[in-house]
Amino acid sequence: MSAPNDDKGTSHSQLSSQFYGDLLDSIIVDVASECHRIARLGLDRNLEDEEEELRLSTQARARVADPSNSGEANSKYVVDIFGQTHPAVASEIFECMNCGRSIMAGRFAPHLEKCMGRGRKARLKATRSSTAAQNRYTRGSPISTYSSYSNSTSGNRVANGTTAPNEEYGDGGFED
Amino acid sequence: MRGSINRPPTPDAEEDRGQDLTLQEIINIKLIESGEKERLKELLRERLIECGWTDEMKALCRAFTRKKGRNNVTVDDLVHVITPKGRASVPDSVKAELLQRIRSFLVSAAL
Repeated sequence: MSAPNDDKGTSHSQLSSQFYGDLLDSIIVDVASECHRIARLGLDRNLEDEEEELRLSTQARARVADPSNSGEANSKYVVDIFGQTHPAVASEIFECMNCGRSIMAGRFAPHLEKCMGRGRKARLKATRSSTAAQNRYTRGSPISTYSSYSNSTSGNRVANGTTAPNEEYGDGGFED
Repeated sequence: MRGSINRPPTPDAEEDRGQDLTLQEIINIKLIESGEKERLKELLRERLIECGWTDEMKALCRAFTRKKGRNNVTVDDLVHVITPKGRASVPDSVKAELLQRIRSFLVSAAL
């Protein structure tokens, strides 16, 4: 024999669910009606634009996922998100603050090396005038690393930038 | 007397009172008359907006409209598009809150 409260409980639950369902259906109709209105009046930002965007984004995703496209190889011709292409070497020209010459941005790092006495030639110039420092300069500086600096076509590679300071500390000749 | 207006006679108020209303109809009337139905609907609408349900449904509508063409869409279409996903994706907390409110109303209305 079930207590009367149980019966009431289940019938309350059933009724509650029914009314909840009605409320939800009513809200669904409201949302559908609003979307219908927006669609018919063309109030939504152009639906064709969205489709175009979707198509382009799937295209781009396919291009990225495609293994035959190597990012390095295409870096000269790849277009960025603003539609710009950038040359491999930065071509803006400005004045070097040390020597005052006009330098191309992409060649600035190697220029600074020579200009501020880090390069081999600049060093030889400096040692001619300071005999005490001569021993330090001729000690174990890997010439090969310097030639890799002057040969690199892209002065803005991060790797090149980070090794330079290390060498400076290693030599210690600069503080004099 | 002009008989040009053809319409059924106004139903007699007494006749209505004699009819048996189902429990559900009685509750519905009480909900509406007390204003609780309106409040419940607004509460549910607010919760669904908060949790992103409404945005999801609108996105479904937009996608369907894109496929079918802006001027070929009917309200009925959109209702059918949203209803299954809509009913299934209401967060449990929201559903529970509404059910609780409805149940309290049933209790307080001594039904």
